[in-house]
Amino acid sequence: MIITNNPLVRSTYENAHVILFVEGNYREVLVKARDLVHGRHQLITHPLMGSLKPNETPYRSVVVSDAVLDKTDADSVLIIEEAILVFDRFIKTARTDRGEGSTEKMKEDFREIDLSLLSSALSE
Amino acid sequence: MNQIKVVHYLNQFFAQIGGEEKANIPPEIKEGPIGPGMAFQAALGDNAKMVATIYCGDSYFNENTEASIEAILMMIREQKPDLVICGPAFNAGRYGVACGTVASAVKEKLGIPAVTGMYTENPGVDLFKSSVYIVPTKDSAIGMRDAVAAMVPLALKLARGEALGPASEEGFMPMGIRKNFFEGKRGSRRAVDMLLKKLAGEPFETEFPMPDFDRVPPNAAVTDMRKAKVALVTSGGIVPKGNPDRIESSSASKYGKYDLEGVSDLTDVNYETAHGGYDPTYANDDADRVLPVDMLREFEKDGKIGSLSRYFYSTVGNGTAVASAKKFAQEISKDLVADGITAVILTST
Amino acid sequence: MKLELGYIPIRDIQFGPKSKVDNNTLYVNKKELSALLLEDEGIASVELDLARPGESVRITPVKDVIEPRVKVSGTGGIFPGWCAKVRTVGTGRTHVLKGAAVITTGKVVGFQEGIIDMSGEGAKYTPFSKLNSLVLIIQPKEGMLQHAYEKALRLAGLKTAEYLGKLAEHLEPEEVRTFETLSVTDGIKMYPELPRVGYVLMLQSQGLLHDTYVYGVDAKQTLPTLIGPTELMDGAIVSGNCVSACDKNTTYHHLNNPVVEDLFSEHGKTLNFVGLMITNENVYLADKERSSDRTAELCAYLGLDGVIISQEGFGNPDTDLIMNCKKIEAKGIKTVIITDEYAGQDGASQSLADADAAADAVVTGGNANMVIHLPAMDRVIGSIDQVDHIAGGWSGSLKEDGTITAELQVITGATNELGYNTLSAR
Repeated sequence: MIITNNPLVRSTYENAHVILFVEGNYREVLVKARDLVHGRHQLITHPLMGSLKPNETPYRSVVVSDAVLDKTDADSVLIIEEAILVFDRFIKTARTDRGEGSTEKMKEDFREIDLSLLSSALSE
Repeated sequence: MNQIKVVHYLNQFFAQIGGEEKANIPPEIKEGPIGPGMAFQAALGDNAKMVATIYCGDSYFNENTEASIEAILMMIREQKPDLVICGPAFNAGRYGVACGTVASAVKEKLGIPAVTGMYTENPGVDLFKSSVYIVPTKDSAIGMRDAVAAMVPLALKLARGEALGPASEEGFMPMGIRKNFFEGKRGSRRAVDMLLKKLAGEPFETEFPMPDFDRVPPNAAVTDMRKAKVALVTSGGIVPKGNPDRIESSSASKYGKYDLEGVSDLTDVNYETAHGGYDPTYANDDADRVLPVDMLREFEKDGKIGSLSRYFYSTVGNGTAVASAKKFAQEISKDLVADGITAVILTST
Repeated sequence: MKLELGYIPIRDIQFGPKSKVDNNTLYVNKKELSALLLEDEGIASVELDLARPGESVRITPVKDVIEPRVKVSGTGGIFPGWCAKVRTVGTGRTHVLKGAAVITTGKVVGFQEGIIDMSGEGAKYTPFSKLNSLVLIIQPKEGMLQHAYEKALRLAGLKTAEYLGKLAEHLEPEEVRTFETLSVTDGIKMYPELPRVGYVLMLQSQGLLHDTYVYGVDAKQTLPTLIGPTELMDGAIVSGNCVSACDKNTTYHHLNNPVVEDLFSEHGKTLNFVGLMITNENVYLADKERSSDRTAELCAYLGLDGVIISQEGFGNPDTDLIMNCKKIEAKGIKTVIITDEYAGQDGASQSLADADAAADAVVTGGNANMVIHLPAMDRVIGSIDQVDHIAGGWSGSLKEDGTITAELQVITGATNELGYNTLSAR
């Protein structure tokens, strides 16, 4: 299942994967993924994929298992919780912001990069 | 430069309002220095003037942090100071947390430099040493003179906006601030040298110490719960009604040991929580929610566990210093072993 | 596996009627090289420019930096899988134009990466300010997609480095150094008393502008493997990685891997440099698990006593780094890791996204969030308008007078995690 706020990911994969589209920011995608991980879905991709820092792109996609496990996956919990902490640290301490406030043309590129990072995992 | 204007923050005790019975007073402000403020004024001399003192009860502050901070910041803003001095708080836990909170908010929200002083084991140190200049002090007010002498030069530098040297030179606790610099050798060479030392078993210094995890490896699993003698230990603050040992609502300095002989259910008539860090309604209503005596008595009856220990142990985990918690645990463990306890259930909040 | 590197020092670079190296000056025939690059049908225009150490020049957005080299003898050619057939390289002799570089620039996407200043404050932080560089500004044909444009740029850089490298094929090097890796059994016989040391080189491999290639293969589709350290010197590893430029390895870094050089310099003296393993940094968590498992197995299989692990990037690669470190340490093999930090502009934040007590020996390339002030330059090669949108820049980073206030993150190679620089943090 792909949790994403990137419309390009949705349109690319909506016929191939279950999509949980988040009308919200990067953090809200992480939080949704966290909720699912605590609901015994396994984290499939690293929530901090790519080199764009949390304050440097508005888009994020995270894959979790479609299936629900017998018990919560501890590694998944640690990784997603740590990712949210990292996100908050960057938003709090970093002055750089080229995510939310960027131009439409640039957002298009951010969507493209997010899609490319995600498909690097999904194509396997 | 004009004379530096300083505002001082104190608790009710150092502001000479009263002891624990006055710990619930909200923030107030008075013109000029009070108590330790006199010592600061003497040490500052003509360089600076203690223009006002703000004080607040420790309990009030910790139970109404947001409202307190808002009020205090408003008072400070009106004074337009160049510097804020908080405490020193020595080893007073709630006072330390208040000093750290005020200093941190003053720096972040008002952009005014602030300095405080605390004993190294004060819980305020763990919470604020990365964001606030904290000068190490003795553990009680006996150390006031030394604390003032150490805080004043740093305070003046901060007020004048002078560049600070490393923590060790300026006399404040290291903040864990990472600073870039150029080494003599490139990184790969340093890595090779470090590896050679590590391989030879020689001492080496990592350039980035990992955060202190302080993880405790879990004990082996209990093989047969039906034979286990189980004890309950909590940091959730469950105490007999009236809190006979006066365990503090935050930054606890002690723990209590309580008899469960003949008790099969914790009720609102006999038990409550001393914890000040969470909504106590549900714990006060039925303390079994934090300390499950009722269930364990049932298990005991059904033979699922061997027996429930006669005593339970309780403290408050709210801002309690790690060093204090370790000390409690050592004493409690000794007791548990002496009593032949074979399993412990630890509950938090 | 034995390779001789012959160094031909380059102290100046000029355009001229004939491409050649003469008296330590590299001359470039603009027309000839442009024509060569325009053979790629996707490229609409090629502009060439020069940048020398100490000049008041700013180059941005930088995609890659490449050192011109040529294979004089031995199998294969420079950049196998791209410019040459996929034959194993790393033996025989290779000539190097030491002090020269090819720098590629181009706006593949709207937000852009990488600044190289040839003088001033910024020059201190990038090793490329010390090189005589030929800069390629490549425009794609209308409608070309980002992936295709990135690839065209990458290839143009490699082709140019190969073209310039060939000028040195028949020159007499000023200095020749020999690097040799023994077979595992010969190494044991020769240095029975020395600690056996390996190197784990982590390669970022995650998608557009985040990729690395090994003999032409996308590293994300590889399993960790042994590769001769001298193979790197012939261009077996090529960079397609530039986002957040401070801690991305350019092709130049791979050709001149400093860990490889420094392990070779101690080889046979204080340690036995047994071998180099490459591993990837994928998005897929199962890949991270699989790759770190394999890497640890390889280290154990080689009977290593110690390993240096170098990282590329921050965030999810910290997970790979810590997994590698933990699993290799668990085999009883001592590790040193090389990383960099994102400790916030005030240096007060937790530096890494993952951590473990097993990582008790860390070398850092510095805090990438540190704010730097870059003076205005007389000349900008590439385009400057994207600086506000660079990783580490922010709205208002670029002042009207041409000065820049941004994080160290913007400077290509500033906090390199191969340990290429002397920068550190405390």
